[in-house]
Formats: sequence, structure tokens, C-alpha cells
Amino acid sequence: MIRSVMKRDGRVVLYDESKIVQAILKSLQATGEGDAQAAQRIANAVEAYLDKYSDQEQPPRIEQIQDAVERELMKYGFEQSAKAYILYRANRTRIREANTSLMRTIDEITNVDARHSDMKRDNANIDGNTAMGSMLQIGTAGAKAYNEAYLLTPEQAKAHREGDIHIHDFDFYSLTTTCTQIDIVQLFRGGFSTGHGFLREPQSIQSYAALAAIAIQSNQNDQHGGQSIPNFDYGMAPGVAKSFRKSYIRKLTESLEDLLDTEGLLEEITSMVEQTTQKTGAGPRLQKDEQEFDSALCQLLCQQYSIQSDIASHVVDRARRRATRQTDRDTYQAMEGFVHNLNTMHSRAGAQTPFSSINYGTDTSPEGRMVIRNVLLATDAGLGHGETCIFPIHIFKVKEGVNYNEDDPNYDLFKLSMKVSAKRLFPNYVFLDSPFNLQYYKPGHPETEVATMGCRTRVMGNTFDPQREISFGRGNLSFTSINLPRLALKSKGDEAAFYKMLDEMMDLVANQLLDRFEIQAEKHVYNYPFLMGQGVWLDSDKLGINDTVREVLKHGTLSIGFIGLAETLTALYGHHHGESEEMQRKGLEIISHMRAYCDAKSKETQMNFSLLATPAEGLAGRFIRMDQQQYGKIPGVTDREYYTNSFHIPVWFPISAFDKIRLEAPYHALTNAGHISYVELDGDTANNVEAFESVVRCMHDAGIGYGSINHPVDRDPVCGYVGVIGDVCPRCGRREGEAISEEKLRELRRLYPGVPTFCGCE
Amino acid sequence: MSAMQRQSIVGKDVPFERIRRITGYLVGTMDKWNNAKKAEEHDRVKHGLSRHA
Repeated sequence: MIRSVMKRDGRVVLYDESKIVQAILKSLQATGEGDAQAAQRIANAVEAYLDKYSDQEQPPRIEQIQDAVERELMKYGFEQSAKAYILYRANRTRIREANTSLMRTIDEITNVDARHSDMKRDNANIDGNTAMGSMLQIGTAGAKAYNEAYLLTPEQAKAHREGDIHIHDFDFYSLTTTCTQIDIVQLFRGGFSTGHGFLREPQSIQSYAALAAIAIQSNQNDQHGGQSIPNFDYGMAPGVAKSFRKSYIRKLTESLEDLLDTEGLLEEITSMVEQTTQKTGAGPRLQKDEQEFDSALCQLLCQQYSIQSDIASHVVDRARRRATRQTDRDTYQAMEGFVHNLNTMHSRAGAQTPFSSINYGTDTSPEGRMVIRNVLLATDAGLGHGETCIFPIHIFKVKEGVNYNEDDPNYDLFKLSMKVSAKRLFPNYVFLDSPFNLQYYKPGHPETEVATMGCRTRVMGNTFDPQREISFGRGNLSFTSINLPRLALKSKGDEAAFYKMLDEMMDLVANQLLDRFEIQAEKHVYNYPFLMGQGVWLDSDKLGINDTVREVLKHGTLSIGFIGLAETLTALYGHHHGESEEMQRKGLEIISHMRAYCDAKSKETQMNFSLLATPAEGLAGRFIRMDQQQYGKIPGVTDREYYTNSFHIPVWFPISAFDKIRLEAPYHALTNAGHISYVELDGDTANNVEAFESVVRCMHDAGIGYGSINHPVDRDPVCGYVGVIGDVCPRCGRREGEAISEEKLRELRRLYPGVPTFCGCE
Repeated sequence: MSAMQRQSIVGKDVPFERIRRITGYLVGTMDKWNNAKKAEEHDRVKHGLSRHA
């Protein structure tokens, strides 16, 4: 007779037969093989077995009892139930182990310095040493453990755990979607609410810029990915126009008050400007129909104040020039404030600055041009001590007829953008003339211009709603990447086997994305107070606060990503696509195959499946470490610490910039969920903008979708020098970590205005 | 006054900041990068501008 049981932790508790009956019954019911009576019969048999075989000195252990249950189920012919019971047991074990591992993870987050913990540096924008950063990481660890145990199928969990696939942002699996292109023109119309108060429609460029930063921050609290403004120039331009109008009236009033030696004309002038606005059909604008407006206003002034027309025109002309200067200064300050804001404001429990992107370059209105020029100049100047701004990501939209050629209206701004990027690494470039971008482009419709967000996300085509192939108000819902080199290693050079496994893996990922969509689709508008509640997401303005977001979410994309095409080719055929044209063909075959799968899946589900050239920050190391354990270090495949990004030519492979661009461009056409190509330039490109420009033009002509140029940007925080620093700082002559005298610092300060001042030291 | 500022009175122990692009976005100095990306950055070769490199 069994009286007690030993639990896993060694405690001895009273034997409770009903618990065993319940567990057996669950398995029998799950398979339909038996009822409560059968369960009781097996439980009795288990007890008899344990009585006979277990050690009389010690009570039986839980594992022994479970072994006996499996045995008796089999013996009585309940084979399916035995299998169900074994699966159930394995799953419980996994959850228990996850709990233990979770505690170990939290222990590491709590006690280990981020410099010594790779896990704590998984995302380079979270400071794992701060209280809020650590709290965020603990939450992440808990969510991941829960999601794996309860939300994935065993097959998906295994693939994710073992590195066949990687489900990105897995901590947010059950909570939200990735990212959005925020149309600020629509958002600002009539004002908006952040959830903590209503903000009126802004009335000056300073408030436009401040509200743009708030919009990014608010939306970042509803999503886990990056936030982007696809129409920064078009969106800020009305703010410039409002500032100019105010300034024009003010300057004119002052001049007239001086001329007539009087005061208090502001109301009269305002009303005359209003009259003229109605008469000419437009307000006072920066260099646009200005002659018509100004001369109409002059006439009014002459009548009202009995002044000669040449004097009136002189006054108006001067007011215009002063107002233009003032507005330009205001715009610069607004852009400076915006950039500073995005580098310092925090979201997500205070641990992270929002991942922000702004796209611009195509607004040719004088107001839009003023915005573009000043946001570039503010970025060029850097932060308070001349530091390079980390955020926002600037994306300059390149378009023939708008800014690419010498006689295009925004050509000067394209040139300026390259000067800034050669010094500050931003802007990056999106090329609207590349055929796969040009197909959507409609002049005069900024929403049809391809824009980029975060690392590279692109959303444009729309199978769900073909009338809305636009970038505004849409984004990615979720993305999962496939470990391509693993498939190549598994297939041992057998091409057919590789493609078969690739198809199976894409099926698995597509189903997982759809499973996650079901979770996301059941959320309500109130779960996303800004994203959905303020109508930021396309068509969410048609929903009530308690509606589910299922249908409008379908405007978003479900993306299948991949990593390590170069290593995949080497594993399959012995070379990568930088080494021979034949391998380039093979590489394009693989990626075309993946794209065709996504297109077919879109058609089948009427949703937007797209192919992503995965940005691989944490993933690069994770996949390869696992593959090294299994396959060892295979030259050209697993012999480094990282897999090559998406379809890139390996970073270590010597190749000219032009060849790299030529080889990577065709993959841009295939990866419709996003892509980026990099070129690494040597030396201080700020001193060689021509070289920089030749690369940008090469990208444009080769049909690259999105590209950027890397070059070293170093800074000495002591003397403020920005440029390339080898071992010795070219300005102050110190080596890393060396001190310089205060006298020397004072001398440098006389020579260079940018030398930082440190309070308290002088 | 920040800890860095106190130290940088004369610059002792103050490292140079080296800003690099990681996967599309910049990261303020590389000390927060994970090991794999540090290795990747270390391995990067420069691309020449000649058409016949």
C-alpha cells in the first residue's frame, strides 16, 4: 500500500490517487480512447505495480509513478493515450526547465556587468547597466519564457529554440505589431491626443517639430519596432508657412509703425493681410506668387495710410526679407530641437530612445525646401558638444526630375545631403527611380513615394487592398527569419534536398506568422490608444474604441526574412556570389524562389506576405554559434563569429564598391519587405564628397532600393574633434586615455569654437 | 557635472568615441555592441572606387 510520494524537490507528501486518475483521464479523453472507469482501472494497476516493484524503504518518486502510468497505458492497449501522456509530460518538463533557466537569466541581468554579458548587449540601444534597462530585460526574459511555453506549437518552439528560425521581437509576441509610417499631415489636422491631454493643431514650425517628436514617442509606446515619418518635409512645410505668415505681419507692422510714428497697428495689418489673402486666393508665402500678393497688399496700404506706392512697396519688401530671415532661423531652431529631442527623449520604461526615421527630399515648395535644408544643417552641426546624432535615421528620397539632376528643383538639397552624410553618416538614400519603387510613384502624391523605417522596413504593395498601394499609415506586423546556411549544411550539397527543406521551413514560418496574426487581430482599438485610437494606422479612424483591429491590420505586412546567403552558397556549391557570376545566378535563384513563395502565399490568403533581407543584429551570432556546435568550423561557412547579413557580399571579401553594388542590386528588386546595401569607404569622406557622390550615383543607376555609405566617424570628447582618429587625435595630439594640460585646452579653445566646456573645471 | 566631465578635466582615461553603423542605424560608440557585431565590424574591408578592383 503506497502512503506517500517523493516530489521533485525531495519533499515527501501524502499519496493522492485522484491526481493520478485525473492525469490519466485527461490523456484518455484527449484521444477518445477511454472514460473515467478506464482511468480508474489503470490507476489501480499503477498502484499495484508500484507496490510490487518500488523500494519499501523510500516512497516512490514522481518520475517513477509517471513511468508506471506510461507502461500501464501501453499494456492496456491505450497507445494513442500513452503518446499523449508522454507529450504532456515532456511539455511540463520543458516549462519547468524554462522556469529554472528564467531564474538564471534574471540572476545574470541583476548581477553581471553589461560589459561582460553578451545577453545584456543583445540590443545595443538598451543600456543593460541601468535600473530601467535591467527591468526591461527582466520583463523580456519573462515574456519570452511564457510565449515559448504557451503560444507556440511544439514544432514552432523547437525551430525557434534550436535556431532553424528566429522569431524577431519575440518578447512582444502576444502584445503588438512592429512599426508604422506615421502620416503627420493627417495626424496634425485638427490636433490630436496623446492619452494624457489634447494637443491643438500646431501654429508655428517650432510646435510642428515638437509635436512630430511627441507623435513618434507616443506611437513607440504602442509598438515594438521603429517609428517613421514618411513625409517629413511635406509635414513640416505648413508649420513654416504659418510661422512665415505671422512673422510677415509682425515685421510689416513694426516697419509701418516706425514710418508713421504710431503704435497699435497689428490688428489693422492683420485684417488687411486677411483681405489680400481672400482677394489673391493665397496667404503670404515664401517666394511663391509673392509679387501678386505683395502688390495687392501695397495697394491696400497706400489707400489706408495715404503713403506713396514706392514707399509702401519698399516697406513690404523689407518686411518680407526680414520675415524670411526670421522664419529660416526659427526653422533651424525647430529642427535642432527636434533632433536633440529624438536623441534624448525616452520611451519604453525610460530605457530606450525611440527608433525614429524621417524621410524627405521630394517636397519642392519653398517651405518644404526650408525644412530639408535646416534639418540637414542641424544634423551637420551635431548635438551640444558636436556629437554625431544617433537618431533619427535620415532618409533622403532620390528622384530624377526632383533632385537628382543638375536642373532639378531640389538638386541643391541633394548635394547638401551628401555633404552632411559624408560627415555624419546620415542621410541614407532611398531611390525612387528603381523600377520596383517607380511602379508605385505618382507625381503629386507623396503617399506613393517609397519610404523606409527602422533598419530597412519597406511597405508598399497591398494584396489585401490593391487600391491602397501606399506607404502612409502602414507598417510591418511581424517578421521571422530563416537560418539559410543551416539548411545548406543539412542538405550536404544536394540542391534538391535544400529546396525541399526550404519550402518546408517557409511553410512553418508562414503558419507561425498567421498564428501570431490571430493573436494580434483579436486586440482592440483600446489596446493601441495612439496607433489605432488616433487614427495613425490606415483605416483605423473608421473603428470604434471597442472594435477589434483584425481587418485594418491586414494593410500591414507579414515578412519572411533570411540571413547568410553567402554562407549558404559556399556550403552548397563551394563559393559565394561575390566570387563568380555562376554563384550570383544561384543566389538569385534561391531568393527568387523565396519571393515567389511569398507572392503565392499573399494570393492564397489575401494578405501581404513579403520577403525581407533581415537586419541581423543579435541573430548574426546566435545562429552561427549553434551551427558551429553541430557542424564544427567549416571554412567560409561557420568559421567566423557571425553570419553575413541577408544577401550581402561578406564584409571581409575584397571587392570594389561598384561591383558590390552591381551584385547586390538585383536582390533589392526581390526583397519587397526591405533591404539595404552598404559600401565601406576609407578615410575621412567629409574631405572627399566627390567620391561619396560617385557611390550614391552608382547606387541610383544600378537600381539599388535603399543604400548607405559607411565611413569612420570618430570624436575626441576632450577637444571636440570630429573626423577620423587613428592612434593620436589630430587636433589635441593626445592618445586614447591620455590627459592634456588645462593650458593646452585653453589654447585649443581660442583656435576652435567647438571645443567642449566642462563646468567646474575652469 | 557628469562622471565623464569630472574626468575629462584633463582627459585622463577618456576614450575616443567611435561611431559606426550597425544594421541600418547608428549606435553611440561600439562598447554596447554584442560580440558578433564587434567581430563583424572588425572584419569589414574598405571598398575601392576603381571599376576594376
